[in-house]
Amino acid sequence: MEYLATIFVLIAIYVTLSASYDLVIGHGGLSSVAHPIFFAIGAYTAGLLAIHSTMPAVLNVLLGGVAAMVASILLAASALRVSGDYLLIASLGFQLGLLQLIKNLDFTGGPGGLSAIPGTVTGAARTPFFLAVTAVMAIGTVLLIRAIVKGPYGRAITAMRDEELAFTALGRRATSMKVVIFAIGCGIAGIAGGVYAYYFQYLSPDQFEVLQSAAILTMVVLGGMGTTWGPVIGAVLLQAIPQAITFLNLPPSVMAPMQGIIFTVLVLLFMFLRPSGIVGTRRQTL
Amino acid sequence: MFDPVILAQILWTGIATSTPYVLMTLGFALTLKVTGLWNFAHAGLMAIAFYTMFFVVDYLEWPAAAAVGLAVLTTGLASFLTERFGLQVLRDRGSGNLTFFIFTLILSEFVIYVITLLFGTEPQTLHKSILSPVTIVANIAISDWDMTGVATAGIAMLLLHAFLTWTREGQFMGAVADNARLAELYGISAQRAWRGVALLAALLIVAAMYLVGTHGGIVPNAPLELILTAVIATLLGGIGRIFAAAFAAVFLGLLQSFSILFIDSRWQNLLLYGVLFVTILIFPRGVRMPRLRLARLSR
Repeated sequence: MEYLATIFVLIAIYVTLSASYDLVIGHGGLSSVAHPIFFAIGAYTAGLLAIHSTMPAVLNVLLGGVAAMVASILLAASALRVSGDYLLIASLGFQLGLLQLIKNLDFTGGPGGLSAIPGTVTGAARTPFFLAVTAVMAIGTVLLIRAIVKGPYGRAITAMRDEELAFTALGRRATSMKVVIFAIGCGIAGIAGGVYAYYFQYLSPDQFEVLQSAAILTMVVLGGMGTTWGPVIGAVLLQAIPQAITFLNLPPSVMAPMQGIIFTVLVLLFMFLRPSGIVGTRRQTL
Repeated sequence: MFDPVILAQILWTGIATSTPYVLMTLGFALTLKVTGLWNFAHAGLMAIAFYTMFFVVDYLEWPAAAAVGLAVLTTGLASFLTERFGLQVLRDRGSGNLTFFIFTLILSEFVIYVITLLFGTEPQTLHKSILSPVTIVANIAISDWDMTGVATAGIAMLLLHAFLTWTREGQFMGAVADNARLAELYGISAQRAWRGVALLAALLIVAAMYLVGTHGGIVPNAPLELILTAVIATLLGGIGRIFAAAFAAVFLGLLQSFSILFIDSRWQNLLLYGVLFVTILIFPRGVRMPRLRLARLSR
């Protein structure tokens, strides 16, 4: 039961991550792959505050989101001067550089990770508490992003993404809009990171590597980029299906690569057989 | 600390250890120039190349030459299939660059997971010992591996330059790189050029992975880190400038080697990513050296 609850919590966290990432990449058209590092910034900030301060957990998680938001503005302010492929590679460099920093600093726990993060709720109430928190966070994120992209600001985002030249010719400021989208998406990732830190009470830098970028990107693409429900479906499928083989009781040396193979094969199959994603339209074909 | 012999030793070692990166960068930069794609599938090809050689040497106990030969076959085939049944399909569909990025990265991950399943995560080398005989020349230690690396990279650069400059296939690749549609109007097959590049890149990758595998241990996901050096060198050299990218790879090797004089070795990788970030922000088109004004100099 605990195992199933952990899978549910993970799914909810990944729904939050993929939905917020879709705001950046799908709706905003910003080719950044650094989303996991903002998840990491939120997680490490909340984790370190939990260890070294007496502030309430909610505040620590929110500060994790703020830290991720500030970092994203720093990246955006400099990297949004370049676009397309350059932004993609710049974000990759930013992610790997910060990870290298986390791995080498003593107070973050170094490559061994940050452990002994105190729990907020203990005992029998812990699992239902986190199930509820992560579910609310996931649903709240999806609804918030839906509200943003369906409103007037969302139409401006779409115009900026599809016709940036015409958008700026009309006197609108594309760069500031990009920074706002980036900050909102990354801030949400930071909050998800804070919740992750409190649930698992242990963080390892390896959890936020390039493979994680590919995983979140894949959830968005597989579900349907630039759609409301696509990233949700992508996150649920790609978290749940590889877990199915855990019931085969395979040794860990076989289990982990098998889950990876299932994950990557699913992505490749969808990429070629259903390029618009599960809920995407033909217009959004990859 | 600044003893000339020590500096010369660091210089030599930096050049020698950068040679596998030179070869990887040549393949990566050539692919980017001709196809216009950041082909992260090269990481998967690196894994295929190394583990084919490892399987032949360690399991079959065949000689190294046979291992290299088989690695050329498997890596070349994988590269060709990726181009023919992956990249070409996406091109025909008119996919965006992000799609190519996802496809090539996920393909590499798939290869790495399969290899992890088959060979485990223990570091592996191509030779039982990675110690190479050393000769002392003017107080500088030069190992056989250093010489092999420098010779391989040097010959590869010369051959690639000759191929691109003096053969029809090479010139066609240049034409496709400049403008694929215009090249096709002149009867040059862009697809043939792209497939040719895929095979050339595979050759360079095998050479690089032989050097890497005889110098230190490799784990299945190591190529994902290795390829980043090629990406940084390509950016630093300037997109479309293959040989400048190769020299940028040497510069990165030297930067890392000399950095031990000033910073702790654990920060070397951070230095690399710092260079990547600064390069993109300050030199998005690469670092261009000022041309010598020969006419003015001769006056």
